[in-house]
Amino acid sequence: MTECNIYIAVIEHSHIIYEGLTNILLKSDHHFHIYRFNGIQELTDFKDKEKLHVVMINPSYVVSNKKNFNAVKKSLPNTYWVGILYSYFDKNTIELFDDTVEITENPEKIKETICRVSTDDCICREANKTEELSSREKDVLIELINGLSNKEIADKLFISTHTVASHRKKITRKTGIKSLSGLTIYAITQKIISIE
Amino acid sequence: MYQTKKTYIKPEMKMSGLFFENPYLLLMMEHFNLDFMVYNKTVEKVCIENSINTNIFIDIANLYNGFNELDAAKYSRSDISTIINFLKSSHDYYKDEKYPEIQQLIKKISSVNETKEIKLIGKFFDEYFNEVLEHLDYEDKVAFPYFMDMLNDNVDANGKKDYSAKVYSDHHTDIESKLMELKNLLLRHIPIEKDRSMRRKLIISLFELDYDLNIHYAIEESALIPLIVKTEKAPVK
Repeated sequence: MTECNIYIAVIEHSHIIYEGLTNILLKSDHHFHIYRFNGIQELTDFKDKEKLHVVMINPSYVVSNKKNFNAVKKSLPNTYWVGILYSYFDKNTIELFDDTVEITENPEKIKETICRVSTDDCICREANKTEELSSREKDVLIELINGLSNKEIADKLFISTHTVASHRKKITRKTGIKSLSGLTIYAITQKIISIE
Repeated sequence: MYQTKKTYIKPEMKMSGLFFENPYLLLMMEHFNLDFMVYNKTVEKVCIENSINTNIFIDIANLYNGFNELDAAKYSRSDISTIINFLKSSHDYYKDEKYPEIQQLIKKISSVNETKEIKLIGKFFDEYFNEVLEHLDYEDKVAFPYFMDMLNDNVDANGKKDYSAKVYSDHHTDIESKLMELKNLLLRHIPIEKDRSMRRKLIISLFELDYDLNIHYAIEESALIPLIVKTEKAPVK
């Protein structure tokens, strides 16, 4: 599961909190790219800021600087803003964020929040949903093992080659197996095909 | 990118203390063709005594401890042969020790489990092993000699045509992904009933191989290849 790349910015003055957060995130299945910024201005100056999926920010950077914060937020419509909470902030401040994490929460919950607000097409999310192949994916798998090309499978199952490719990707994501010989072993084990 | 709780290695540290924390550093010593009985010596002393660039040694040791600090800018042309010798002895370890060990374990499991799945795993592994051997052979016989010739300014115009950095990295991706498939098959998909301890040994052996291979590729791709490219651009007269 190396295909998903999630870009996260952390704006937080405490080194301990920053290290702790990155440690938790790096231990998940996702491939996170984590940047650390010293304040909103540094983020604004960051040339790849459009790439950011999530900005995790300590609300104290926002309180005295709401106007600026709202402007940046508006300029990055696809980025989710998550407040890092470890002290009390009033409701009006909290509402500026799309979501929040409390540092007293357990690591799983923090990971979950970040995954939930990250991009929808993230592979890891799909992998968490189910490992079992759908019946269509099984059909494609069987034809693959029979030696058919994407085009031939598409014709046989009345779907587009694009759909075949997408099924193949999903099969690999769910099983962790890419090669034809590996997939054959998988299919036999799961009784999708038999070699008798 | 991954993190570890292991020590970040520095020149003044005692080598033997590091072995207690991460015994896989013994394997690294072997790849450097060094004995691990270094008594009270510091990392730096070990390097100086054996004429190894301390920067390289420490960067590679840190890879074993989970920190990737490789930076070709820190190494020089004269380090290429150190790196190549390291990689070559890792090849011997894969070819003569690790892969045969895995092959034996699969055979043993196969002999007590009469299922078709384990036989297929055996076949899958044998095919994979052959691919690996082919790649190692390519490096030993084509890539490394070409690099060494280049160092000695012996490259003729035809020397380069067999070697390509892209081929290198494609091979790596392939070897890595098959290993990942094996782990997935054995840990997630295939039920094997008997001989649990043998299966555990097999899986741990696969992880050990993976660990060393990852370090191996990192060294090739982030140290050796950039150094070669640098040397190609600026040949020493």
